[in-house]
Amino acid sequence: MATIELAPAQIQVLQVLTILLFAPLVSGGIAHLEARLQGRRGPRTLQPYYDLAKLFRKETLVPEDASWVFVVGPMVAFMCYLVVPMLIPVLTTFPLPLGYMGDILGGGFILALAGFAVALAAAETGGPYAQLGSSRAMTFGALIEPSILFITFTVALITTTDLPYFEAAAARSSLSQAIRPAHLLVALAFFLVVLNDTGRIPVETHASTLEFGMIDEARTLEHSGPLFALLKWGSAMKQMILYVLLVNVFVAPWGLAGSRSLGAVLLAIVALIGKALAVGAIFTVIDNSFSKLRLFKITEFMAAAFLLAILAVLVLDLGGG
Amino acid sequence: MVVVPPVPSSFSGGTEAIALVVLLTEFAMLRAPTARSQIRLYAFQSLAVSALAVFVAATQHIDELYVLAALSFVLKVVVVPGIVLRLLRGTRADLAGSNRFGVATMVLVAIGISVFGFFVVGNLSVHSHSLPAPAFGLATAVILVAFLLVILRSDVVSQAVGFFSLENGVSMASLVIAAGIPLIVEVAFLFDLMVAVVVFGVLMRVHHGRGRTLSTEALDRLRG
Repeated sequence: MATIELAPAQIQVLQVLTILLFAPLVSGGIAHLEARLQGRRGPRTLQPYYDLAKLFRKETLVPEDASWVFVVGPMVAFMCYLVVPMLIPVLTTFPLPLGYMGDILGGGFILALAGFAVALAAAETGGPYAQLGSSRAMTFGALIEPSILFITFTVALITTTDLPYFEAAAARSSLSQAIRPAHLLVALAFFLVVLNDTGRIPVETHASTLEFGMIDEARTLEHSGPLFALLKWGSAMKQMILYVLLVNVFVAPWGLAGSRSLGAVLLAIVALIGKALAVGAIFTVIDNSFSKLRLFKITEFMAAAFLLAILAVLVLDLGGG
Repeated sequence: MVVVPPVPSSFSGGTEAIALVVLLTEFAMLRAPTARSQIRLYAFQSLAVSALAVFVAATQHIDELYVLAALSFVLKVVVVPGIVLRLLRGTRADLAGSNRFGVATMVLVAIGISVFGFFVVGNLSVHSHSLPAPAFGLATAVILVAFLLVILRSDVVSQAVGFFSLENGVSMASLVIAAGIPLIVEVAFLFDLMVAVVVFGVLMRVHHGRGRTLSTEALDRLRG
């Protein structure tokens, strides 16, 4: 049986499509599991798709004083989330043509641009809670930034590049690479960063309706219809992108396609969804085991992430790690 | 195409991993909310130091260190935390109202001083085949952060636990730099610790008896 070879460009498109199409599935799976852990029946796994379909059929309401930024913001954010999957190892172990377009910092910039666009759109509404949310999201985004920088430094010190593909390849090359202290520290630090960026406990209660505790969630309060659908879809994609980075670069860079054959790539898609759901399950358990930190205590959480990332750089600097 | 970076040897990597656990426990003590959780963390840290002794003994084939590991397990994991917890029985369980700074500030200051410790060790230019420099740097950081624990938190238990964990840092440094020093010297460290336990025990009892609190903020009320 002849194996069908995919062109690199086709795989590149498949990477984007995987994130685009399966992000709501992962969100739905996590929401379902979370409900189960709390003893509720919960929504069905495909619920996010129905929600999106419903929202796309509704009309868009724009606040009276809002300008075009209100409309463009969610679209810009959505486009950013479509660009990032081209830069990171979603399906393959080998870098795809556009994979060299940006490194970890480049991906981080694009994710930050998306966050900035959403924050602008929220600030544009004039709604107090949306503005509060965008202000907080920007503040905590800035506070977690040092940890992300030091994670990048660690990757650069280990691999002498800061392309995510190379860190994953280094971890895959042998067991001693995968369990070296610097790698474990940086994986743990990135885990905390993902916890923060996906708006999970201990930073934020993602399913709460209480506006005062909200950070990311509050930003979308004033949007409706297709724009709200874009924001929801975008946040599901952001979550999946971060899970992909966590799993395929740091924690478990195994199960990716090593060749361009169709079968391997399809298998990688299935494996990716499985791994993303597994990470989601861990986050759900954390969600149900801890309480939310008070807003002014979140800095302690950031300090912990920073500590882990800086220790990784320090031990590498002394010739260990 | 992929450059495979060098990995530390298993001895260096192992000591480093255990030393990291010890340092992270030290940071956890710095932010621990209650006195009791600090003491439990101290017991855990001592367990890690004992494990380091066993690891060094096994990899460097120094049998004396097994004795040291056993001694330090009995003393630092079982006896000392037991005594301190006993002394604390009946005292009011203070929540961490004793911090001079917020937790995030303390952690940042501690990170700063650990970086200083690392740079000092890095510039000592001790080059030895068997010396794992990162573990030495981590031990230095443990000692410096233990000092901070004593300085920044103003309750008697933090000061005691800070001093005890300082001893943990010193014994960790001695394990990684000079694993072969005579057992009697290592045991002398442990003896120092016993003296410190007695002194701090008396301090805690007297201070709590006079001031009805474990906070050192109240010390200036003891005048006259």
